[in-house]
Amino acid sequence: MGLKQDKDLIVDQGPGFVITSIDKLVNWAKSGSVWPVTFGLACCAIEMMHSGASRYDTDRFGVVYRPSPRQSDVMIVAGTLVNKMAPALRKVYDQMPEPKWVISMGSCANGGGYYHHSYSVVRGCDQIIPVDIYVPGCPPTAEALINGIIELKNKIKEEETIVRG
Amino acid sequence: MDNHTLINSLKNKLSAYDIQYHHVKNSVTIEISKNDLIPICKTLKSESTLTFNMLIDICAVDYLTYGDADWKTLDATNTGFSRAVKKTIIPDPDENYDEKRFGIFYQLLSLDHNMRLSISTYTGSTNPPTIDSIHGIWNAADWFEREAFDLMGIQFKGHPDLRRILTDYGFIGHPFRKDFPTNGNLEVMYDQNLEKVVYKPVSITTRPGVPRIIRKNNDIE
Repeated sequence: MGLKQDKDLIVDQGPGFVITSIDKLVNWAKSGSVWPVTFGLACCAIEMMHSGASRYDTDRFGVVYRPSPRQSDVMIVAGTLVNKMAPALRKVYDQMPEPKWVISMGSCANGGGYYHHSYSVVRGCDQIIPVDIYVPGCPPTAEALINGIIELKNKIKEEETIVRG
Repeated sequence: MDNHTLINSLKNKLSAYDIQYHHVKNSVTIEISKNDLIPICKTLKSESTLTFNMLIDICAVDYLTYGDADWKTLDATNTGFSRAVKKTIIPDPDENYDEKRFGIFYQLLSLDHNMRLSISTYTGSTNPPTIDSIHGIWNAADWFEREAFDLMGIQFKGHPDLRRILTDYGFIGHPFRKDFPTNGNLEVMYDQNLEKVVYKPVSITTRPGVPRIIRKNNDIE
């Protein structure tokens, strides 16, 4: 007699199970730890630091900044990309292992921004590397960057790794 | 030491040179000939009544379009305003410059006397414009002169390592000159086939860099 307890339910029903697809499992694992390579170029990098520091704490999303492209999944281009830096940016991007994503942070990285008509600035980092998420702002707030990271996670979750549609 | 004492001791020690003294808003400027630069600077550093032992900054100014009134608008057309549609001047390498096209300004500080002094001098009679390097007197001139060379194309004679400091590797031109197009001549992009970043001619055109005057609004008046 008496009420059934949790341990009785487990005995009654047998061990639990979860149904999922391999794709979802893989995407869940990928989106749970997107490690960015720190590519701070200008004032946007300050906001990127804010988002990584204790107040906004991107560790909560599994976003842990790495000093090396070899250990990274995503590149956050934070700031003005100048002509002199462009080959170095491409080299760092090429050094990242697949799968890899790019977040373009701020007006300058999105399309040159304030320096669009300058003689020394690349008019958008998508001239150099393929970009997944554009975060607008000058500079974007830490919240905006976190929104961009969440959007990137959503994008990763939509990917089809095993069965290509 | 106050500014009048400074001017008096400058006049006393530098009487051999042709110098104009300007005393405006509590700052003393001497305007000198570029040929007298080295001896005057040596005197300014070594004389015990002056001892300008610190070089704060060197800056260069291009006076090519100085005095052109950007704000005066004669008429407006569909393509822009009269003073804002001036075409970019492409510099001729054989061109001779105005004698006072480039101003070079030195800011000095005397730690002993707590005094500051500006030296202004002009160059431009030759192409490229030349002036003597003061690197032998103040080591701080090294990067300042490299910067002025990079952005303005001024040759500092006697500089030990006069090469570009800021602009891209292999950059052509001197971007702070008034006849340099503001959007440059080249831009970079990634070439999928070559698998590297390549240069190509710039894809945008120069726009007026001055603020536009808003047309008369009849609704308000």
